[in-house]
Amino acid sequence: MIRLTKKKMMASPSAKSGFVGQQENGPTRFRIFLPAVLFFMAGICWSAAAESKKAEVSPVPKMRKNDLTPLSDAVKPISAHSPYQDGDCSLCHQNKDRSNPGPIVKQVNAVCLDCHDDFAKVMARKSSHVPAKVNCVSCHNPHNSMQPKLLVEESETLCLSCHTAISNLVANAQVKHDALNVDHKCVNCHNPHAANVEHLLTRLPYDLCVGCHGKDGVTDHDGKVLTNIKKLLAENPHQHGPVQDKDCSACHTPHGGNNFRLLTKEYPAQFYSPYDPKLYALCFDCHEESMVKDPKTTTLTKFRNGDQNLHYVHVNKDERGRTCRACHEVHASQQVHQIRDAVPYGRNGYMLKVNFTQTATGGTCAQTCHVTRSYTNSPVPVQVKTDALPPKSP
Amino acid sequence: MRCRPSLHSYMRRLAYLAAGGMLWSFSALAFANAPLGSVIENFLMPSLAGGSQSLLSDSNVSVFIFIKPGQEHSNQAMAQIAACEKEMTGKPVHWCAIVSDRIPKAEVEADVKAAGLAMPVLIDQGDTLYGKLGVILHPVIGITDKDRRLVAYQPFAKVNFHAFVQAQIRHALKEITDEELAELLKPTAATLGGDASVAHRYFRLAEKQFQSTNYSQALLNINKSLEKNFTAEAAALRSRIIAAQGGKIEVVVPAEAVGQGAEAGVKSVAPVGVIEKPSNSK
Repeated sequence: MIRLTKKKMMASPSAKSGFVGQQENGPTRFRIFLPAVLFFMAGICWSAAAESKKAEVSPVPKMRKNDLTPLSDAVKPISAHSPYQDGDCSLCHQNKDRSNPGPIVKQVNAVCLDCHDDFAKVMARKSSHVPAKVNCVSCHNPHNSMQPKLLVEESETLCLSCHTAISNLVANAQVKHDALNVDHKCVNCHNPHAANVEHLLTRLPYDLCVGCHGKDGVTDHDGKVLTNIKKLLAENPHQHGPVQDKDCSACHTPHGGNNFRLLTKEYPAQFYSPYDPKLYALCFDCHEESMVKDPKTTTLTKFRNGDQNLHYVHVNKDERGRTCRACHEVHASQQVHQIRDAVPYGRNGYMLKVNFTQTATGGTCAQTCHVTRSYTNSPVPVQVKTDALPPKSP
Repeated sequence: MRCRPSLHSYMRRLAYLAAGGMLWSFSALAFANAPLGSVIENFLMPSLAGGSQSLLSDSNVSVFIFIKPGQEHSNQAMAQIAACEKEMTGKPVHWCAIVSDRIPKAEVEADVKAAGLAMPVLIDQGDTLYGKLGVILHPVIGITDKDRRLVAYQPFAKVNFHAFVQAQIRHALKEITDEELAELLKPTAATLGGDASVAHRYFRLAEKQFQSTNYSQALLNINKSLEKNFTAEAAALRSRIIAAQGGKIEVVVPAEAVGQGAEAGVKSVAPVGVIEKPSNSK
């Protein structure tokens, strides 16, 4: 049996083209066949990439080229492809002879799908990985490998070799997400072939996150015990919009970041803070900044007494401005608008009841932070500047 | 005479109730002053391009999106809505975007152009519509039916926003059913592998090896397939392989199925997974 060394392989024309694993002195027809296959593949890659671009901008335009040489007989592989192991070369190649298998009988993925035909259904999912769609050997060695699943490299290294922006983000993040380093790493959340959710996520973000954050005793990278979100939501019916929408990624960046709790943007960590819009960048990603900037309003918030904007009154101060967290829970609470049940007070963190009550025309905060005060928001006349169209005739 | 509903009709009602429940769980969010199902008042509003345009259509499905040019989420949403608008060209949908008159016109025009939005952009003077509906955030989409009833509310989502919006519009157009909408709003998990999948691959390999008369390998692989997941198709192939080898044709029943509903007279000749090597095996 002729076994090619890596040195020999890299010197061969097939190796340069990325198609390795063939006999170096193969038949002439193979030399003619190979460019044709490459040309055909390039066409497929181009059309698949163009097709994929329509649906979502691919962050990785190039395909990996791997050394697909079988391992030396002296090495015991971690995973081996059954046809190769059985010596049944002709299932994929032209010849049954292991020392002279010849070229593969069809385009790479067509050969793979002959047996892995269940992947046709998988790849029909809404979001698919371009390398999986056009070239299985971008990630898998069809013979054998020192990695599970015939992967050409360790899974995380393999993913990050193309996804360099994520690689840089992970490397430079001040706040790390342990999910990237445990169990199946990238595959904890992503399906490398195809998925029904964008970014190849196997489920919607919330359903993925509670896989870990729906348990007691989970700690962050620095060892701090984190809230069991599943339990929190089960006990608190009034939930923040993105939580209801299962979109944890609206506020958290899963690959790592520079803000505490992996927040995508700045958010005040303290109860009091001088008002600076930059500190509220996270909130203002969705909520209107003028809600805390305008002293008077009849449209921007219902937390107003007449036209006096009470968000402005609480938040917009040069020194001890109350931050969002002073009154609102970020995920969920027992009260409407995610109003907190109690706020921490003093060095020992004594929980002071907020005593908020919603009324038909506003609300009341009974004596806690201040004396009991009520507000009313409905009877202020609104100057309508739009022209109402006549009602639709029945 | 009133007929008694059949079991099938009960099942169908239950399925509708379940689908309704699924939809309800997605429809809890809405504008603060306009819950889902409420009729939205129509307005003539000044347009960015000049003149005035109506907010809603009185005869078609309407999609209106509150945007804030310059805001990251709004710019992302605008690009995705522009794609959605293009994909749904020709459908009876009335589109419009709404911006506050606080934002300079040039800034709005630049961002709208960059996103490729073709729909009219209406100016909300003094944030009147924003306050009237109780919008509280940007970007957010409202969808009304031909009777101007609010049928969907979709705030921006970092993941699957385009799919969610398109699904809600198609549902409003009655192109998809409640069940299909529920599936699009909560897509099926895309898990990897599993025994059935691995078994199927061994089956396909065995089938190919059987075709190429490599019976001994075919038998090994079909046994691996049956070990992972018993299917009648795989069992039948195993029998064919053994027959081709000149062995006795067997009826293979998974060991756990014997005595648990397996038909009388059908006997487990060999437990699945045990490879019986016929005497004349190649």
